[in-house]
Amino acid sequence: MSDTPGPSEEVDLHARDPEWFREHVQSFQFWFEAVEGYLGGLDHGRPPEIPEAPLSGIERARLVTALCNYCVGETAALEGAGGLIRIAPNRETKIFLSTQTVDEGRHLEVLIHRLRELGVEDPEAEIRARAAPALLAFKDRLLDLVARGDWEAALFAQNVILESMEFAVFQNHARTADPRTHEVLMRIVKDERRHIGFGENELGRRLRAEPSLRTRLHPVRQELDRLVIAAFDEGGAGSGASPREREEITRAYLHAVKRLGFE
Amino acid sequence: MKGDEEATGGSTEVGERRRYELDDQGFDEVPKKYRKFYRRWKGPGDELAPNEIFCPVCRIVIRSPREIRPGDRIYCMACMTRLRAVRGPDGRIVAEVEYT
Ligand SMILES: [Fe+2]
Ligand SMILES: [Fe+2]
Ligand SMILES: [Zn+2]
Repeated sequence: MSDTPGPSEEVDLHARDPEWFREHVQSFQFWFEAVEGYLGGLDHGRPPEIPEAPLSGIERARLVTALCNYCVGETAALEGAGGLIRIAPNRETKIFLSTQTVDEGRHLEVLIHRLRELGVEDPEAEIRARAAPALLAFKDRLLDLVARGDWEAALFAQNVILESMEFAVFQNHARTADPRTHEVLMRIVKDERRHIGFGENELGRRLRAEPSLRTRLHPVRQELDRLVIAAFDEGGAGSGASPREREEITRAYLHAVKRLGFE
Repeated sequence: MKGDEEATGGSTEVGERRRYELDDQGFDEVPKKYRKFYRRWKGPGDELAPNEIFCPVCRIVIRSPREIRPGDRIYCMACMTRLRAVRGPDGRIVAEVEYT
């Protein structure tokens, strides 16, 4: 118990300075200490001892399709986060995005490994065959916004729209997934918490300073959330979600958008 | 430490605040020294203690070493969000995101 401070040296985190908090949570120092708790000792994103559960042909096919589509989303986020570093407005956001880029690379790698464990010999070919067209279209649009240097629109597309849908979809899928997939997804969700928070906070600050930005982002939102929702329907990315679960998944995203002042 | 005076602003409750000894409940997504400030939300039946508040962004429970009152500033390290405790329409204390 040597690392437990006594009452006299007890630090109340919530009493700390907002500037300290903002800079600290966006740092590599923080990232490293945060992921240490849940990524240590793993084998490709899950504890090594988790056994492979038997899956029926239909269950396996459905899982492979879902994982292939997750790989498309993660590749979009990997390329997007990496590209955003160049156009990020300051040092702290650039450093945060470097940690997000690492996270997304990890997500892609563990999902590809999971596909191989399920007997997929050529994951790239499988992803090409099973990717939902709407999700590929979303990825193109996102990378186009990044290439054009549109920080706010690209951040909105990636860290609000894409990430909040992924966050909800992965959590929902993890509830009913086989044990290995469950472990992999739940650790991805832990990383995604930081990404959605970063997107909402950064964009929220921008919108507060420049309310007219909402009008500019409106068409981006209309176009892109339609694509994400279509991808969800086409790609089996919901992995057998019931209508009620689908509604719940979309609601989490809609709440975020509402908090940012979009109707 | 700065900002403590701000944390009590807006409170409508009276009297001394209750203090809480926080224990580590295994929330592994933040650095070890901050784990005790968080716990997982156990779903709709989960009751929040007077020193706890729900993060609307990432849906975990944030804990404070003292009773939370309207006006308090709260940090969610799991999603890197600064929040403010406010009295919701149903009288309960809820967290709102502060984008500044
Ligand atoms: Fe990801
Ligand atoms: Fe992400
Ligand atoms: Zn949070």
